Amino acid sequence: MSAIEISNLSFVYSPKTPNEKQALKNINLSVEEGTFLGIVGATGSGKSTLIQHLNGLIKPQDKKRMSVVVNGMSAADRKTLKKLRFEVGMVFQYPEYQLFEDTVAKDVAFGPKNMKLEKDEIDRRVRRALEVVGLDYDKFAIRSPFDLSGGEKRRVAIAGVIAMQPKILVLDEPVAGLDPIGRKEILALVKKLQKEVSPTVIIVSHNMDDMAELADRIVALKDGEIIADGTPKRVFCNRRLIKEAGLDLPTATSLTDMLISRGVKLPNDIVTMAELARELGAALRRKLSVSASEEYEDREDFKEYDGGCGSEYDDRYEAGGCEYGEASDEGEERWDGEDENV
Amino acid sequence: MSDFQIEIKGVSYSYPVREGYNVKAVKNLSLNIRKGEFVALTGMNGSGKSTLAKLLNGLFQPKEGEILIDGISTADESNMFEIRKKVGMVFQNPDNQTVATIIEDDIAFGPENIGVEREEIIRRVDEALEAVGMSEYRTRTTSKLSGGQKQRIAIAGVLAMKPDIIILDESTAMLDPNGRKEIMEVACRLNKSGITVVNITHNMEEAALADRIVVLRKGRIAIDGTPKEVFASGLIEACGLTLPPITELSRALAEEGFVFDGVVISDEELAEGICRLLK
Repeated sequence: MSAIEISNLSFVYSPKTPNEKQALKNINLSVEEGTFLGIVGATGSGKSTLIQHLNGLIKPQDKKRMSVVVNGMSAADRKTLKKLRFEVGMVFQYPEYQLFEDTVAKDVAFGPKNMKLEKDEIDRRVRRALEVVGLDYDKFAIRSPFDLSGGEKRRVAIAGVIAMQPKILVLDEPVAGLDPIGRKEILALVKKLQKEVSPTVIIVSHNMDDMAELADRIVALKDGEIIADGTPKRVFCNRRLIKEAGLDLPTATSLTDMLISRGVKLPNDIVTMAELARELGAALRRKLSVSASEEYEDREDFKEYDGGCGSEYDDRYEAGGCEYGEASDEGEERWDGEDENV
Repeated sequence: MSDFQIEIKGVSYSYPVREGYNVKAVKNLSLNIRKGEFVALTGMNGSGKSTLAKLLNGLFQPKEGEILIDGISTADESNMFEIRKKVGMVFQNPDNQTVATIIEDDIAFGPENIGVEREEIIRRVDEALEAVGMSEYRTRTTSKLSGGQKQRIAIAGVLAMKPDIIILDESTAMLDPNGRKEIMEVACRLNKSGITVVNITHNMEEAALADRIVVLRKGRIAIDGTPKEVFASGLIEACGLTLPPITELSRALAEEGFVFDGVVISDEELAEGICRLLK
C-alpha cells in the first residue's frame, strides 16, 4: 500500500515578486508503507519545502494539476486536514525549541489532547510515548522540560509527536547538534519507532553515512528536482550525480575510491563502513590464501578454505552486476525519479 | 610573563538550576594553552565545554580559581574591554550573530564600538573579509547567505577586533557538511597566521584536525594530548564520545588481520596500512 503519492508537485516562493524562487519542480514520488526513506540534498535544494507538503503545512499551489495524497487523504482537502496531521508526525530541526509546557507530561500530552481523546487514553499514550523514547515516566513526568539535557529534551519533543501514534514519521535532521552518543541513541530510537509505532519513516539529513546505514531508499534533490531515487547503493554509487547535487559521498564510498585508485581490488558499490571492513577482510584472506597456495599448491586442506570464501565473493559480484576495480563513474547512466516511480 | 597565553588555574563554576540547587559545570580545572596552539575542546553534552569557553572571555566569572589571558585576570571588571578584545568568540547559531543588515556594517560594528579610526575600520573590514574569503559579499545583506557564509561573517566580525585568540563554540554544529568544511578551512588558515584557536566541538573528525585535544568529562579534564594520544587512550568512549570513523574502521580492520603503525587518524595512514598488505 502506498503511504504517500505526490504527483506533478511544484512550488514557488514569493511568486510574481523580485524574490520569486522555485523551490520544487515537478516532483513525482510514491512511498510504500513500511519504507525508511532518506531525503538528501544540498542546503536550498527543496527538502524542507517537500516535507512540509506532507502534512499540509504548505498546500499545493495548483490544486488541479498537482496532488499530495497521504494515506488516501489529499493534503489540500480541508475536511481531512486535521486527521492527516495526526497521521503524519513531524519532528522538525531542533524540536526541543518547541517545548513549551511546564512539565514533561503536559508537553507530551499536547498532541493527544488536540485529538480529543479520553483522559485515560491521553495518560496511557503519554506513559507509552515516554517509555518508547527511553525516559522513565515516574522520574520525568513532573519535571520541567527546560531543566533537561539536550538529548533528553529532544526525546521529550519526539515523544510529543509519537504520542499521536502517527502512521508516518517525518524527521528533519534529527541528530543535529547532539554529541556522538546522543546521535547513536536517537538514530537507534528512530529505528525502534519504525518497528513499534510508525511503519513509514522519512528522514531528511546531510549525513550520508547515517543515510547509507539506515535507509531502504534514498531520494536526492537538486534545485527542487529529484535527480536520483533508489537504494543507498544505487544512489551513492553514482559519483557524478552525487557530486553534481553538491553532496558528499558516504565516508566508506570515498575511502573505497581512494583505495581503488591505489590499486586495491574492491567492488565500487560499498556504502557503509561495516561493508568496507568486511570486503577488505575478505580481500586480505584471499590474498593470504593465494600466496599460501603458491607455496603449498597441492595441499588439500587449503583448497577447501579458498573455496569457502571465494565462491561467496564471486556470486555477489555476478548478482550485483557491479564491476570492480573501477572507481570512476564514467559510463554510468543518469537516471531520475520518474523511472523508478512508474 | 608566563609562557602561556591562556592560564586556567583551579577554576570552578556552578549554575543555579532551580531554587537552592546548583549544578557544578566546571570543577577545579587547570589548563594552559600556548600562543598559536590549535586546541579542540570536546566532551559530551553537559561536560562543561561551553561554560569553560564563556569563562575564557569573561562572560562568566570563576567562582573559585582564576583565568589569566596574557597575564591579565578575567575576574577584574576593569580588564573586561582588554579581555574581550583579545578573545573573540563565535557561537553556534548562524542566525543569532549579526547586528546589521549589510555585511560591511556588521563587521565594522565591533571596531566602531571601541572607537577605532574610520580609515583603520575600513582597512580591518577589508582584511577580515579577505581572511574568510567573503570579499565580494561586502555590500550584500546577511539574510541571503548560507549557514557557512553567515558563520564566516561572524568570524570576520571577530577578526576585525584583531583578537589573539578565537574561540569557536560549536560554530559548525548547525551547518551542513560544506559549511563545516568552510569554517574548518578558515580556522586552520587563521591558526597558521598566528592566532590561537580553541574549537569546541563534539565532531571527532573535526577534533582530529587540531594539534591538541582536551576532553572534558563532568567538568574536569579527562584526557589531554595530541589527537593520536587521545584516540589511543582507550578513554574516549568512557567520556561519552566516539572515535573518528576512520579510526573505528582501522580497529575493525585490525581484527581482520591488518597492521597499522599506531593509531590511524587520517585517510593516508589508513590507505598505507591497507596497501601494505593488499598490493
